[in-house]
Amino acid sequence: MNPASSVALAKSKPGTSQSSENTTKRKRGIFQKELQHMMYGFGDDPNPLPETVALVEDIVVEYVTDFAHKAQEIGSKRGKLSVEDFMYLVRKDPAKLNRCKELLSMQEELKQARKAFDVDEEKLAANID
Amino acid sequence: MRSLLTQKMKQFKDPFEAAFEEQQEDSPPESPSPADDFSTQPSVPPTEAANPEDDELNAPPSSVLFPSPTAAAATKNKEEEDEDVEDNMEVELSKLPSGGDPDKMAKMQAILSQFTEEQMNRYESFRRSGFQKATMKRLLTSITGSQKVSMPMTIVMSGIAKMFVGELVETARIVMTERKESGPIRPCHIREAYRRLKLEGKVPKRTVPRLFR
Repeated sequence: MNPASSVALAKSKPGTSQSSENTTKRKRGIFQKELQHMMYGFGDDPNPLPETVALVEDIVVEYVTDFAHKAQEIGSKRGKLSVEDFMYLVRKDPAKLNRCKELLSMQEELKQARKAFDVDEEKLAANID
Repeated sequence: MRSLLTQKMKQFKDPFEAAFEEQQEDSPPESPSPADDFSTQPSVPPTEAANPEDDELNAPPSSVLFPSPTAAAATKNKEEEDEDVEDNMEVELSKLPSGGDPDKMAKMQAILSQFTEEQMNRYESFRRSGFQKATMKRLLTSITGSQKVSMPMTIVMSGIAKMFVGELVETARIVMTERKESGPIRPCHIREAYRRLKLEGKVPKRTVPRLFR
């Protein structure tokens, strides 16, 4: 089995976006740096092989693509795409589902904290003046 | 103002983070001793920078937390070259996902205090690593072809993708132990892991066959 070549390392994919800002070519290694740290964290070598990282990136991009498409299919029945559609897709995977809920609640908390901070800032400014 | 913010942010330190950072910096007088006050999570004014938020959101849930460290620890039983990765003991982690559950925190403390340096490095990479929000957002926008990719969607997708990478890498390691191989993970292991994940149904199937690969 050829190491890296059997997986197509195509540099371009059909453009799905009409926006002029989005490039239709997928550049190599858009996740490369983060993936290296991530793979190390999950059990790989401190310096993962570049071909492995490239392969994982391809797989992840394909995963995200398929996932988002499926979510869109589900979302289109309701109208527009929402986070709920993502969560529906992982409903069978308790770990992922819990993680999603946790991330969302943390984000909500941060938002509240930021709001509270803005209010405090104003009070502080008012008191100082 | 900045000092007030950083002081407040320190309230969110994890016990294990505190354990390592205590030697390095003094806790500012205002913030409570990081090791104690975890029963409640008071709302804390975050800094404006995107990075602290990223790090907070990278904290994994306890359901993933326990399998992962043990999986990581199991892989370290193999004879790996003990490379001296940068000696960075500072684990920048915020809220503990158990939300102040003293039992779980005690367990975490017990586990973490026994980590070797290499394990700690790996764990730090595990907690801190994540997909860039901007990149993921760009990717999602180009996939959905719409502009309506909200921040929660990006965050959730990054989280799911990270867990997927974890499944891939861990399964690849399992494949390697079955084949009695060692060293860095090679593409063939990843491909086998991917195949197994597909069989388990963890990979979304394409309803339309993929063209122009």
